[in-house]
Amino acid sequence: MGRIPRSYLINRVITLLLTVWIAATLIWIIPRLSPVDPAEIALGRMAAGAGSVANADEILAQLRASMGIDQPLLIQYLKYLGGALTFDFGLSTASFPTPVSQLIASALPWTLGLMILSLVITFVIGNLLGALMVWERSPNLVKVAIPAAMVFTSIPPILSGLLLMWVFSAQLQWFPLTGAYGLTVEPGWTWSFVQSVLHHGFLPAVSIVIVTFGFWALGMRGLMITVQGEDYVKLAEAKGLRPRYILYRYMIRNAILPQITAFALKIGLLVAGQVLVERIFAYNGMGKLLYDAILDQDFPVIQGISYVIILMTAVSVFLVDLIYPFIDPRIRHEGDT
Amino acid sequence: MTSPVLTMKDVSIDFPTPAGIVNAVKSLSLTINPGVKVGFIGESGSGKTTTALAIMRMLAAPGRVSSGEILLGQDKTNVLTLSEEEMRRARLRRVSYIPQGAMNSLNPVMRVENQMWDAIVAHEGKTDLATLRSRSDAALESVGLPARVGRLHPHELSGGMKQRVCIALGVILTPELIIADEPTSALDVVTQRQVMETLTEVQTRIGCGLILIGHDMGLMAQSVDELAVLKDGVLVEHGTTRQIIENPQHPYTKDLISSVPLVGGETFLSPAVAAPASQKTGPEPLLEFRNVTKRYGNVTALQPMSFTLEGDVPQIISIVGQSGSGKSTMGSLMLGFNEPSDGQVLFEGKDISRLSTSEALGFRKNVQAVFQDPYACFNPFYRVEHALKFPFKRFGLSQSDAHTQTAMEEACQAVGLDPDLILRRYPHQLSGGQRQRLIVARALMLSPKLLIADEPVSMVDASLRASILKNIYDLKDKYGISILYITHDLATAYHVSDYVIVLYHGRVAEAGPPKEVIGNPQHPYTQLLIDSIPWPDMNRAWGTSNRFDAEAHLAKAEVQPTIYRGDVDGFNLSTQFA
Repeated sequence: MGRIPRSYLINRVITLLLTVWIAATLIWIIPRLSPVDPAEIALGRMAAGAGSVANADEILAQLRASMGIDQPLLIQYLKYLGGALTFDFGLSTASFPTPVSQLIASALPWTLGLMILSLVITFVIGNLLGALMVWERSPNLVKVAIPAAMVFTSIPPILSGLLLMWVFSAQLQWFPLTGAYGLTVEPGWTWSFVQSVLHHGFLPAVSIVIVTFGFWALGMRGLMITVQGEDYVKLAEAKGLRPRYILYRYMIRNAILPQITAFALKIGLLVAGQVLVERIFAYNGMGKLLYDAILDQDFPVIQGISYVIILMTAVSVFLVDLIYPFIDPRIRHEGDT
Repeated sequence: MTSPVLTMKDVSIDFPTPAGIVNAVKSLSLTINPGVKVGFIGESGSGKTTTALAIMRMLAAPGRVSSGEILLGQDKTNVLTLSEEEMRRARLRRVSYIPQGAMNSLNPVMRVENQMWDAIVAHEGKTDLATLRSRSDAALESVGLPARVGRLHPHELSGGMKQRVCIALGVILTPELIIADEPTSALDVVTQRQVMETLTEVQTRIGCGLILIGHDMGLMAQSVDELAVLKDGVLVEHGTTRQIIENPQHPYTKDLISSVPLVGGETFLSPAVAAPASQKTGPEPLLEFRNVTKRYGNVTALQPMSFTLEGDVPQIISIVGQSGSGKSTMGSLMLGFNEPSDGQVLFEGKDISRLSTSEALGFRKNVQAVFQDPYACFNPFYRVEHALKFPFKRFGLSQSDAHTQTAMEEACQAVGLDPDLILRRYPHQLSGGQRQRLIVARALMLSPKLLIADEPVSMVDASLRASILKNIYDLKDKYGISILYITHDLATAYHVSDYVIVLYHGRVAEAGPPKEVIGNPQHPYTQLLIDSIPWPDMNRAWGTSNRFDAEAHLAKAEVQPTIYRGDVDGFNLSTQFA
């Protein structure tokens, strides 16, 4: 407890860098195992646009040179690593010649905003409901209603998204159908823009929440059942503590610990977004970007997104490692005395 | 005449189950006067904890008090008719509960003092921090703990300290009645005596009633004023402790008293007339420690030690000591679960950390283990026969399925279990005693040469200990298996072993034949251990009541070199100190 020992910190940082390096190498290798030549795809796209292309071989060579795939693999790899350090993943092959970093930079904030908001809401609601499913003093209504609500968890997000759109956008017209913000507002830090973003983000967020809260609720339920049988909960009752206090400070406080680790792992994955949800709501996030990139065999973009996912996961696990001893006094930083 | 702190009138407790209603407690009537200590004694399932939980109104669902009255205190509050909120207020303030599993009874993520403060605040409302802290510090000091313990988290405390924290919690609001549910069952004898002294001290000071739940007749004789003997939910005998110990009326009470193995008392074993042939093959000693030392970081768990167990004649070597004495470290070194920091452990002349794959397989077959916790030793997904069958086949001992079946049945019968009833069941359907016997049967099927038994009976009821130890003793006596018996229980070591090693802080304090070492201890540490055993004898005082005396004693034990009390053939021990 207390401050974090330097040796532990150095150790963790090295682990973090190693993880990112190995993962970055893997995501570089995997697309290169594919027989598809991105230059040919780009050429094909040009041909489809113009009807025919003269000097195909020359253009192909030029394309390869500008994509950097004419060089030896080792050079490509080293360049890639250098680029990864500076978040430079080259140019998108599909939206040629937009830099990948620019595509990601424009999509990332949308996804992070939507996903972090819905993940936090889901985490809180899911764990609370999971805890209430176990708690002896929950009203009967809660005990019946929660398992019923769990049915939504088994509905694919596309369906629940469509259902929400139909009810709230098409029928009631409370929320806009698609998009991340209205066509009439200028992007910027103005009240009308923020309002529009919240308005547009609401339905996608809700559809993610109702689909994913069951994951947390079921996990929490299992953990709560274990904690409920612990001797310290029994003693807390024998001490005459108020039931609600026991629920929060003795039961949930202990049961939530493994969920926090799971939360950190989810943060990384959430960058990829809920691909289908973003697709239905035509939301300009990472999910949509990734979806399009896969369709177009846009290697640099796929690589860039995978890299961001890995970086986010590694960093959030790193942070949880540092924070954990503060939330669970039994865990110590290695090297702490 | 003061009026009683607790009056139970015709209390019956039912547990409705799908198979019908189970009467856990049957019309129990009892009164407890202020300042009186009453012991509830009986085996597991006798209804003693159930009765206590009914007083707290904390029976696990679906249990319920089906009839009778439980009246608390001079105002005769019927706890069964209180509202939820009134009952909550009565807990701890009027009747406090000191739980059985003190090891896990404190919230691991809260500091100790916070867990005392929340109790005070729940009953008396918010007060300022200084008041709370002075009260928790005072409560901790009253149970012999320094106030700084309050600033620690539970995992930083030893078992004895945690149990004292629970006692401090139990008396912090000066209740009228304290219920202590086997408060010392997880502690070794030395700590047990200290904790019991603390408990009776604070109880006498606040003058409340005390219910002590337990199954150890010796502990009861030394601790309580009255005894209530329960069997299958019925109060079979109730009276003063002296009356019951010296002149028990009910046969069950007599059984409970006689089942306690005593140092120097009559043996509960019936040794075979002719010694069986040893399982040993080859000329090398069965087990040898060559200058073995074990360190964990800066802590030396085991000081340099050498011994040879020849094994020509099967023998039982006991290793006794408190928790932390290094006895389980020795066990795991012998099993090869741990490598020594220095020195070598040899089995039949071969270093067990350097065995080839086939030698290692032979070693695993020849050295079997019985562990402390019979609950954790079975895979809950398989029927218990799997636990017997699998190693038998794995080690290539099975000739056919019929042969395996016969071997299983014979092994079960050897430990007094009916194979037809047991083998097709799942582990959770068996009692702790049955499970531990099965582990012994499993070891027996493999016809090992050596058995390491690490606290094999510390988690089973006192009344079953003797019979399980008899099963283990039979392995030596009938099957010629040598045994290393690791225990904190000197009385059983006295009876079963051929040679005893007393460990203290990783060093051999005293070693020799049990009649010498345990019957007439010379080392200050062994003396303290023997002294701390509670005897079911009213005329025998439970050692000193001054805990500083014990500390002075231990300080002496620290510097006293090993005392050798004689040799036995086939076992040689030597130690060296730097």
